[in-house]
Amino acid sequence: MVRGSHLLSRLFVALVLFYLYAPILVTVVFSFTTSPRLSLPIEGLTFDWYGRAFADPLIPMALQNSAILALVSAVGSGIAGAAFAFGLVMLRNGRLRLALLTTSMLPAIVPLLVIGIALAVFFRTIGLPQGLFGAAIGHVLVCLPFVILTMNARLESFDFSILEAARDLGASRYQAFRDITLPLVRPSVVGAALLAAALSLDEFVVTWFNIGTQQTVPTLVWGLMRRGIDPSINAIATLLLALLVCLVVGSNLLNRRKS
Amino acid sequence: MGELLGNSLSNSAEGAQARGILPLLPAGAFYALFFGVPMLSLLVISLWRAQGFELIPDFTLANYQKIIESSLYRGVLLRTVGVGLAAAAIVVPVAFTLAYVMRFVFERRGQLILQLVLLSLFSGYLVRIYAWRTILGKQGLLNSALQSIGIIDQPLDFLIYSNVAVVITLVGLLLPLAVLPLFSAMQNVPRNLLEAARDLGAGRFYVLRTVLVPLVMPGVRTAFAFAFLLAAGDYVTPSLVGGTQSVMIGNIIADQFRGTGTNWPLGAAMAFIVVGVTVLLYLAITQLMRWVTRW
Repeated sequence: MVRGSHLLSRLFVALVLFYLYAPILVTVVFSFTTSPRLSLPIEGLTFDWYGRAFADPLIPMALQNSAILALVSAVGSGIAGAAFAFGLVMLRNGRLRLALLTTSMLPAIVPLLVIGIALAVFFRTIGLPQGLFGAAIGHVLVCLPFVILTMNARLESFDFSILEAARDLGASRYQAFRDITLPLVRPSVVGAALLAAALSLDEFVVTWFNIGTQQTVPTLVWGLMRRGIDPSINAIATLLLALLVCLVVGSNLLNRRKS
Repeated sequence: MGELLGNSLSNSAEGAQARGILPLLPAGAFYALFFGVPMLSLLVISLWRAQGFELIPDFTLANYQKIIESSLYRGVLLRTVGVGLAAAAIVVPVAFTLAYVMRFVFERRGQLILQLVLLSLFSGYLVRIYAWRTILGKQGLLNSALQSIGIIDQPLDFLIYSNVAVVITLVGLLLPLAVLPLFSAMQNVPRNLLEAARDLGAGRFYVLRTVLVPLVMPGVRTAFAFAFLLAAGDYVTPSLVGGTQSVMIGNIIADQFRGTGTNWPLGAAMAFIVVGVTVLLYLAITQLMRWVTRW
């Protein structure tokens, strides 16, 4: 029923991908052009903007904070999310399982703005000053749904009968977990953790409402954007993009490995 | 041996329930403490009053009343709904078509296309919004391209700092998210079901409306809710590519929390109004789609 429209389908997919990737392409190309005015034709190529980007006095603090948050998100949401997905798969009650899975997706559906201000209100009520700690909690919260979703998809195809076999052969619960479950799911957990790190590195909105006077790479970029057109934004953005793409592609490759 | 076996059996029967819950606890507790409680506290302070920087505990609907009675806020709210609906009205059909093509036309390569679409989701939220400014600007790429081909003499100035710019940018941000629920809904639709309907003489559009759309309806609804809620809640896009005439409710909410004249209770009330409007629209769209697929 579709053969005749094959060419049209191809054209459609190409257009959509172009629409999605045009902004990314523009960012990368203009991080290397000499003219500070972002327009065509391109006059020449340069690495100057990269040098300028790193000369920003706030960059070391922003990089350090972003790295800390990415690490906390990867480890925190990676472990808690994987455990949660495990608990879900083992639940016998299908309706409860679906309800818990849906509830755990809520932070991905509620606008980040609302999550950001809700956390800010909560931290203020309990007297926690704004800063890296509050931002880290926000990051873990934002990452958890994505970790749970990917881990849940992986674990649904996990063959639990091999665990029973190991138990029948005399392995203790702990031994079965350490020697069989863990090695089998480790690539998926690491993959999900990389995804969390990517989300965290890119997170802006929740961070903005909770980090106070500290900076991360996205809040720094936001500050530069508000000030006007500055080509060093494209340079920082390109480096961030490269890192994000590596993390997401790495996460995909790990997840694709047969468990 | 028999005793050992009996022991382990009863052990697994009793302990299974408790052990099954154990892995759910860390994330569950985290959600309760850092998502459930904060959302509740947001609801609570939307009933409070602000006096300067102080929050005065109260139990009043004055904030909600103020928003609904102020023509400024009503206007912004209306514009937000308009922009959100426009974005969703573009995103959902495009995402539907894309999911259809990936699922039923390209099959195997569909997975690769899906990966590419999703990759764009993780590649720089701020960056992509900012790049649209470069593309749509008065001397931006689109205008200079159109001028050099000779289609236009003067740059089109509605392309940037306008509602059009906000919608164009939001569509790019929301499309990957809307594709996900539609694609996963279509994966459960067997291809030969559509073929059977065609073989029985149904036209292509008729099959779409009476077979495919009703089957993937939950996916359509989810995609719409995603697109609308995230568009209506976005404040970065209007502040970077929108003009003075495209302030959205998200900007006003953000200003109540991080700006000069902050008013947290008022901002909290606005946030719940946005969520409420989304729920109402969701119900309305559900009803509308039910009507369309039956007629």
